[in-house]
Amino acid sequence: MIQLKGVNKYFYQGEPREVHALRDIDLTIEKGEFSVISGTSGCGKTTLLNAIGVLDSISDGEIILDGKEIANLSAEAKTEIRLHEIGFVFQAYNLVPVLTAEENIGLIMRMQGFDDAQISQRVREIATLLQIDDKLDSLPNLLSGGQQQRVAVARAVASKPKIILADEPTANLDSSNSKALMNMMQTLNEKEGVTILFASHDNYVVESVRRIIRLDDGALVT
Amino acid sequence: MGVMVSIEGLYDGMSMNMIDRTKRSDSGEISLYANKYRLEHVIKYRISDADKKVLALQKITGVTEALYRLEVDGLAQTARKSKPSILLGIDLDDEKKFGKFEEFLKEGELDFGKNSAFIGGGLAKKLKVKIGSKVIFTAQDSQNEIKSIALRIRAIIRSSNINFDERALYIPRGEAARFLSVKQNSATQIALRTDETHTPTLQTTLQAKYPKLSVYTFAQLYPQLQQMQTMMDVFNTITFMIVMIVVFIGILGVMYVSILDRIREFGILLSIGYAYRYIRYQIMIEALLLGLAGYFLGLFVGLLILSYLTYQGLDLTLFAEGMEAFGMSSVIYASIKSSYFISTLFAIIIASLLSVVLPLRKIKKLNPVEVIRSAG
Repeated sequence: MIQLKGVNKYFYQGEPREVHALRDIDLTIEKGEFSVISGTSGCGKTTLLNAIGVLDSISDGEIILDGKEIANLSAEAKTEIRLHEIGFVFQAYNLVPVLTAEENIGLIMRMQGFDDAQISQRVREIATLLQIDDKLDSLPNLLSGGQQQRVAVARAVASKPKIILADEPTANLDSSNSKALMNMMQTLNEKEGVTILFASHDNYVVESVRRIIRLDDGALVT
Repeated sequence: MGVMVSIEGLYDGMSMNMIDRTKRSDSGEISLYANKYRLEHVIKYRISDADKKVLALQKITGVTEALYRLEVDGLAQTARKSKPSILLGIDLDDEKKFGKFEEFLKEGELDFGKNSAFIGGGLAKKLKVKIGSKVIFTAQDSQNEIKSIALRIRAIIRSSNINFDERALYIPRGEAARFLSVKQNSATQIALRTDETHTPTLQTTLQAKYPKLSVYTFAQLYPQLQQMQTMMDVFNTITFMIVMIVVFIGILGVMYVSILDRIREFGILLSIGYAYRYIRYQIMIEALLLGLAGYFLGLFVGLLILSYLTYQGLDLTLFAEGMEAFGMSSVIYASIKSSYFISTLFAIIIASLLSVVLPLRKIKKLNPVEVIRSAG
């Protein structure tokens, strides 16, 4: 379970150009939920996602993951949580440019200590599902935006994390790939109980999930 | 690095060569004199039964060679010139065993004929004598009589020991004894070659055994050479430090640029859970590999240059006169010490590791979110 209590996030705090990006967010995401954070561009979806994923610090408040406060942990402890608990799909893909698609997909599993055979099997399984199995030897710069997005999704789900945080995961996908991605996410969510939280304004995504969290100017809309 | 170890080798070679030649031509590692001889330098203060003492000394553990010499101050003259000089009574075979005397021959032949002498190169020049020239040496004998001896020059000697090159006339030890009216087994100096590790204890032992003699080590007899070696060590340290600073800056530059180039990759890795400590290890290993690659290349080049300089030497015959005036050989042979390579290895490891401190600070301060944002 993820709990956010009174979370505020300011950029340029104390400066004339201060931005109040998240305003007193109180939010609970139950284990196994499939939710989407929805809202207009610039409303704070990515900031909220980054805060939940302990990628970014918060100005005040608490973020509790499975009963443990995680917002104020050391950088090293936050890295451990990102490695073992959370799978990220970034808006800008963020693939490692010098690694092939296969190496990118298997990267987190490798960091977690899986052996080559396990990694290879899992990578091929996911790649086939996302229809990028013929691109496994390619470097990211040789892939289209949609293909890179699928590699990024594959990397996030390959290690079967407890939580998947995805920022606009379908932004560069056509409808059939968006559908394949959502099907895969739903399978992960239903069969393996993975908690999934998307930030998206794609109607197809919004309509496919059970819970919609609406944000407006950094505040939750009830 | 190759050049640095070559310079180190040459500096060390230069000082070691001077020390070695001085030991071989004069003092050995230890010399014994009659008490007061070193102060007053007169034949009255001589060592008696030197032959027996030498035999006894040769049996002492740590002594590898021993010989005795008879020396007197006097005046060397030709028809046109005269110079203060010393007459040195030596045994040629002993000198060859003691210090490879034959290597000091510059001109002529090493064979004492009747009334013949060898002359130091500098003295020969001052007196303007050549092989075959005649020199008269005048000195006071043990009875305080002024005596002269006519000598024909058979060889010119260059030992690189200024004391002898500028002043010495060498004659057979027996002739010197007759000339000075002393017993054949009299000496003014007994010199010993010893195993260096035994030298300090030997000095104490010998001083206790021969209370009527003064026992000196090489460092006590030639403090200026010892000082020169210290000075060379300082030069080497300074050269070493300058090169290591250059190495440090070189590795720092390469690593800094390499890390800046990959800063996005590191940001991505951090954002997906790659621990900073692994990035730190990776960068440290990269820097070490870079440093060690340079080290082994330098080791190869350095060994090549040093091997050449050790066996062929650096021929500075063009400046021979000036160098010999300072007691240096005109061909400088380098020395190879494992310490050059060991200390350089450690310094390169330290320089490599220090060079990544700054780049690693940059990564540690990296906020992955900013990298992710900028990547979009």
